Amino acid sequence: MNNTVLSFTIAVLFGIGTFLILRRDIVRVIIGLSVLSHAVNLLIVSVGVFSGKDVPILTHDEVVPTNTIFSDSLQNSVLAPLLNGTEPTQFVDPLVQALVLTAIVISLATTAVIIILAYRIHEEYGTTDIQKLKRLWG
Amino acid sequence: MDPFISVTLAVFLPFLLALAVPAVEKLIKHRIGWFASFIALISFLLVISLVPLVIHGEHFQASVEWIPSMGIEYSIYVDGLSILFGIIITGIGIIIMSYSNGYMGLKEDLPRYYQWLLLFMGSMLGMVFAANTIMLFIFWELTSITSFMLIGYWRNKPESVYGATKSLLVTAAGGLFMLAGFIVLRSITGTFDIPAILQNETLIQTVQGHKLFLAALILIFIGAASKSAQGPFYIWLPNAMEAPTPVSAFLHSATMVKAGIYLVARVHPIFSGTEAWFILVSGTGIITMLVAGFLAFRQIDIKALLAYSTISQLAYIMTMYGYTTYQEPGIGVAAATFHLLNHATFKACLFLVAGIVAHEAATRDITRLGGLRHEMPITFIIATIGALSMAGVPPLNGFLSKEMFYESSIEMGHALGSPFTFIIPALAVAGGVFTFAYSIKFIAAIFLGKRPEKGLPSHIHDPSFVMIIPAAFLAGLIILFGLVPSIAVQNLVEPTASSIMMEAQHLHVKLWHGLTGSLVMTLITFLLGIAVYTRYDSIAEWQNSFNRKYPFISINYIYDGLVNNAKGTLKRFSSFMQPGPVKGYVLALLVLMIILFAIPFLKLSTGFIQTLNFNVEPYEFLVFFFMIVAAVGAAVLPKYLPAVISLSALGYLVSLLFIYLSAPDLALTQVLVETLSTIIFLLAIVKIPQTFKEHITPSLFTRDALIAVSVASVVFILLVNATQGIIPPFESLSYYFIEKAWPLAGGHNIVNVIIVDFRGYDTLGEISVMCLAALGVYNLIHSRGESE
Repeated sequence: MNNTVLSFTIAVLFGIGTFLILRRDIVRVIIGLSVLSHAVNLLIVSVGVFSGKDVPILTHDEVVPTNTIFSDSLQNSVLAPLLNGTEPTQFVDPLVQALVLTAIVISLATTAVIIILAYRIHEEYGTTDIQKLKRLWG
Repeated sequence: MDPFISVTLAVFLPFLLALAVPAVEKLIKHRIGWFASFIALISFLLVISLVPLVIHGEHFQASVEWIPSMGIEYSIYVDGLSILFGIIITGIGIIIMSYSNGYMGLKEDLPRYYQWLLLFMGSMLGMVFAANTIMLFIFWELTSITSFMLIGYWRNKPESVYGATKSLLVTAAGGLFMLAGFIVLRSITGTFDIPAILQNETLIQTVQGHKLFLAALILIFIGAASKSAQGPFYIWLPNAMEAPTPVSAFLHSATMVKAGIYLVARVHPIFSGTEAWFILVSGTGIITMLVAGFLAFRQIDIKALLAYSTISQLAYIMTMYGYTTYQEPGIGVAAATFHLLNHATFKACLFLVAGIVAHEAATRDITRLGGLRHEMPITFIIATIGALSMAGVPPLNGFLSKEMFYESSIEMGHALGSPFTFIIPALAVAGGVFTFAYSIKFIAAIFLGKRPEKGLPSHIHDPSFVMIIPAAFLAGLIILFGLVPSIAVQNLVEPTASSIMMEAQHLHVKLWHGLTGSLVMTLITFLLGIAVYTRYDSIAEWQNSFNRKYPFISINYIYDGLVNNAKGTLKRFSSFMQPGPVKGYVLALLVLMIILFAIPFLKLSTGFIQTLNFNVEPYEFLVFFFMIVAAVGAAVLPKYLPAVISLSALGYLVSLLFIYLSAPDLALTQVLVETLSTIIFLLAIVKIPQTFKEHITPSLFTRDALIAVSVASVVFILLVNATQGIIPPFESLSYYFIEKAWPLAGGHNIVNVIIVDFRGYDTLGEISVMCLAALGVYNLIHSRGESE
């Protein structure tokens, strides 16, 4: 879709996230990870979006012709479709959206675990400094 | 009974009843061995009941679907070859399990011993009746695992552990090569079904003409050679002798080591008749036969001597299977099959004798044994029969099959022409000479000569009937097959050879067949064998001194180096890769990412300036602006709480952006997830007082900012290029989902259809991750009580 401002915004999020995960304060690292995961999700979705394309939802029962030859045949031991010819469709890419949808949910799980981990670390050692933890460890 | 049911019962009864062994042991105590023998007997009878089915070279196949989408079935194939192996496995199984009743002390962990023996027997039967390469592979690896457990039966002996590990590493790795070979074969033929290939002449032609023929052959042969201890893979077998002796007799002489032979015979119709087959199979066979026969001389442990002799005898069989390329194929195959059967009888017999000697004399060291013929007369007679059969002395069965080996070697020499007319028979005789010499040594060292003054128990006698009868029975078979070969030949060898050759075979094996070339070779073998035997000790001494002088000319040396060094190398590797601080890993990853992305994009980036697009609607611009503000806020706000609120503002802005990016599902999910994670964040954060504040020095700031800016720039360049089509667009998988969403899954929302239908397993995985995360959080909170 060729939007340079969006690309720039995503890049800035990446930069800020990177800076944060290099910190010593464990809470900052977790915030950094969240920022990074937002950035990654946006990056993946944005490359599948082209201006003038629709939301990937069919309006009625239909077979969308994509002028693609599928040969996923078990007899010929082809377990993935072979794609020849790519007629543009009217939709943005649904596959990247499906991937990111999974990623969003997983990142919730990750965030929950590490924030509780940080909380427990603070309870056990009375600090949120990673450097100090390392000294405690060995 | 229906053959399919018979086979299935024969294979799976041992598996099922092995599970019952500990319970039964509670009832009948140390008599558990007889229970195991009884199971073996049932399997034996089931296998025997199948003999009429194949006696004239017919075969039987039946299958049940297992993984139909992959063409994998639970499929059995009964022919002469599988019946021969089935009889050897179950027959020797009965003998071994009965014998174990006398051999294994009452204090041993008997349930474990018999359990693994039964599991082994079941796996082995499953392997020989498998019609499907995948099924064959599974049972094949099961035999490796059960063998590992049995070799390592005495867990606290380091030698046992070493031997068990070695055998597992070599044979299981060989099995993986075999699997790769099966997959190559499948890519050529399009089927995992072995009989389907065997019965299709044109398919075999296709395989032999295919460019992957050699790859398939070599991979499968590596599997066979590793299991049958051929070529460089022989090293595991001598160390496997740390197993209890009945196990050695069963697994490492009569059955498991013949699995490789079985595989070679099974794929014989597919690969044989080619030059590569001859060079690979016979070449490996001849070299192994000579080297292993020669190396047997320096062994002072009687079981190690037998192990080397097993390697050498198996090599005979391999060699004969390889011969078929250049001669009337029936001869080699029949001879090989006959020798296979004979070897199972005389070698198992000798191992049982070795077990008796070790049990009674408490040593297996030939330098400490001798002169036991008076004290153990019955054992002496049995041992002599076994050893003479191995040496190829008439009228025992070993003589017959060795004659056949010589005969086919002569023919082989003729077929290849000068100078092989002489060389091949000469090599065969050399193998026979070594065999003769160490067979005599086996008898002489234990029973002949003088009894050593010290080191042996004062009272040595023949063992109980439990141990002597199995050995005597095998000795009886040796004589029977020698005097009346037609019993074995007509009922077992002919059907087997027919099934290997895929056509009916008729053999005439007689004890006396005139003064032929092979008989002359046998006589030469005896004369030279006696000559070599007189120099036996000096040859052994020379081998020892050679080994001391050049310890590195040895495959064991390489193995030990590889395995022991592997531990050290991996230790260094992991301590280098995991130094401790997380920051180190992050830095390494980021730098790697920058390099990997930057290199290709630096080449492409020329000209992207012209295609930049700053046409942004004002409201979009506002969204972008606030996103950056929120992210900066999350980074710089000094207190946790405002930072977290800023972060959640960023999350909601992202969901707003998703709407703009034509992704309504994502927007919805993002709103929900953001709400939840903000709640979790806030719940936790209010409990963490902000005591620590990192002091960021200018140099640290410069370094981290530099990394952050590099990452951002790389991402920026990547995105600008990616969204402009400068990178050649590759074919997108998405078209498939767009077109099939309605006809295949009946859904309108394509993203949802992908998640719940096409990629349903991913979603299942995702749900598992959520569950694990929930469990993890619960346990983290729960563990608080324990630490105090």
